Amino acid sequence: MAYAFPVMAPAVRAESIDFHYGQNESRNQVLFDISLEIPPSQLVVMTGPSGSGKTTLLTLIGGLRTMQQGRLELLGQDVTRLSAAALVQVRREIGFIFQTHNLFESLTAVENVRMALQLGTWPPAEMEDRAHQILDQLGLGHRLGYKPRSLSGGQRQRVAIARALANYPQLVLADEPTAALDMHTTRNVVSRLKDMTVESSSAILMVTHDHRIIELADRLVHMVDGRIVSDVVLSDALRICEFLKGVDIFKALTPAELTNIAEKVTRRHFEAGETVIRQGDEGDELFLISEGEVEIDREGHEVARLGPAEFFGELSLISGEPRNATVVATAPLDTYVLGKEAFRTAVEQSNSFREQLRRVYFQRH
Amino acid sequence: MAAIEARRLLPGTKRGVPLAWRNLVANKRRLLRSSAGIAFAALLMMVELGFEQGFFDASLSAVQALDGDLFVLSAYKYRFGTRDPIAHAELDTVRGVAGVASAAPLYASWQDFFWTSPLDSKPYLVRVFGFDPDEPPVFSLSGIKDGQALLKTGDTVLVDSHARAFLGMDTDKKSTDLSGQPVQIVGTFSLGPDFMSDGTVAMSDRLFAKLLPGNRAPVAELPIETIVVKLRPDATLSTVQRALRKALPNTSSVMTKAQIVDLEEQFQAKLSSAGPIFWLGAMVGFVVGMLISYQVIYTDLSDQLPQYATLKAIGYKTSYLVRSVLVQAGLSGLAGYVPAWLLCIGAYRIVGAIALLPLHMTLRLTILTLGLTLGMCLLAAALAVRRVISADPAEIF
Repeated sequence: MAYAFPVMAPAVRAESIDFHYGQNESRNQVLFDISLEIPPSQLVVMTGPSGSGKTTLLTLIGGLRTMQQGRLELLGQDVTRLSAAALVQVRREIGFIFQTHNLFESLTAVENVRMALQLGTWPPAEMEDRAHQILDQLGLGHRLGYKPRSLSGGQRQRVAIARALANYPQLVLADEPTAALDMHTTRNVVSRLKDMTVESSSAILMVTHDHRIIELADRLVHMVDGRIVSDVVLSDALRICEFLKGVDIFKALTPAELTNIAEKVTRRHFEAGETVIRQGDEGDELFLISEGEVEIDREGHEVARLGPAEFFGELSLISGEPRNATVVATAPLDTYVLGKEAFRTAVEQSNSFREQLRRVYFQRH
Repeated sequence: MAAIEARRLLPGTKRGVPLAWRNLVANKRRLLRSSAGIAFAALLMMVELGFEQGFFDASLSAVQALDGDLFVLSAYKYRFGTRDPIAHAELDTVRGVAGVASAAPLYASWQDFFWTSPLDSKPYLVRVFGFDPDEPPVFSLSGIKDGQALLKTGDTVLVDSHARAFLGMDTDKKSTDLSGQPVQIVGTFSLGPDFMSDGTVAMSDRLFAKLLPGNRAPVAELPIETIVVKLRPDATLSTVQRALRKALPNTSSVMTKAQIVDLEEQFQAKLSSAGPIFWLGAMVGFVVGMLISYQVIYTDLSDQLPQYATLKAIGYKTSYLVRSVLVQAGLSGLAGYVPAWLLCIGAYRIVGAIALLPLHMTLRLTILTLGLTLGMCLLAAALAVRRVISADPAEIF
């Protein structure tokens, strides 16, 4: 299971953003101390009741309003103090999907998409091809020369989405983009968006209450009354749960217990040849291998090799003694790490986990 | 992050999306409506300015028909068509100047002669030109050149076959009364009326002196309206003009035909009420056209405000949108102008024939009215485009 490590600047880095509408007595604060960092390749879904400030936050992040308080970086550029004219330039890097399609009735599907393409750096000869390609990917290959009037509501919305995605934006902002789409088309559109997070590392921030999308989100941000009240990285927890289910010691755990542990797990990456733990060191972490292989050496001799879905390091956690072996990554290694405290909690909370551990412990010793 | 510059923004270029053109032709009914309105306004301007041009040209037709290199006339004349003669003695002075090949006197009257129309036997005021039939012709009109010899004897006149119909000059009648005296009609020429005279009669200086009401002077002392000077082939115009000015008292001026035209133009523009009246008419057309154009553009922009705001949101500069709207307005101006131009040529033919006015779609009129039509549409667009300028892209989320 591969995932990107943060070598690129975050698509969005918002720090302590406050925002007010109106002035003086009628001044009304709609955003309170918003901090949000979105790395590349992440599909973030923002939910919350109407009036919670979602759209205002979206327009600020989209460079459509000037900032009042706080700091905002977009795609590695500090845009906090940029003038309205400079923000125009920044917006060309962002793909916008609005609730309404806002297509020019006078232009064909291809021409509406080209309106976005001609803001990019495309050679003229390739623009037409790119417009055809993105429309085709959204299932509109047979509607290229149609004007909005001749398209269904869902088709129009997909043209608008094609317009937003045509320039491979590194950041896509969307507000209820699937409201006009049926179930089948929604799946098509969302999988296209999801593909973009992989193919071009695009980050996507989307306001939606569509469960079909929330299921696919990497992260769920919930806003209430102008504040972020929860920020859950969904896919990590889910991914870890899936992984834990396949590991011996967690087999008997209930989903609730699994989720509980998954939330305490962190990822760690090691390069080939790197030492993960050293014999004689203090041991306070349990490692689960998700990808790669390790070699276990005791007194300079290789005693075992472990691969995906296997774990090591539990002994010191249970006995409190120093590490009794050295573990070296033999290939690039991705691990999930459970710390001492989290481990203890997990053990105390779950009888079945304790049982499993004891069983494994006695098997190995 | 490289700064991305959009260069392919001009509507109508092959590489960019021709947004202005597409928006113009998208709504056929609206385009037809706006074109009709703009065409109406353009036609109004063309007719008004065409009339102005026609009246001006008509007032100059006699001047244009003069056959000479230099003209001596009173320095107090503010336009050609007013009676303000100079002393007969100046004729000899002019003839004495080096480089002058011939100097022929032209006598003229606009307010003294009454022509009895053969049609209804009522007297009408006409313009009368008198000249010496023994001198070289003072007009280049073929009817006068050919008929000049017939004026040497008897009370004979030549009449304008293009005079207004009620004067009955273009009939088979060979005699009528002029200022109460019987005259013989021995031929015709073609000149046409202007806005002061309905018809013109040409005669010898001898008959002019005889018929001019209140005149007691013999032909040899008759005050002259204009001395028509022709130069020797070897003489230079400016030298002779300078020599004539030196020789003549400063109550006389020496002009080329172009300078007389200038004088007439200044009179039309500054002194006459005709020019301003026609321009006022043209301005009414301009304002009407602007209102129509504004209404059409404003509706169009209001309908598409979210689209324009979206373009702003995705990174188009306001200047691109303004340019697109202005180009669209310019195109709509052209769409109204072309049919109006064609219609106007027909209108000029019909009105010109009825009003006996020289109405022509000249290059000057074409450029002038095209400029006004485009100006009216662009001005309307500039007012309406404020709506797009103030559109807030943050509102569409």
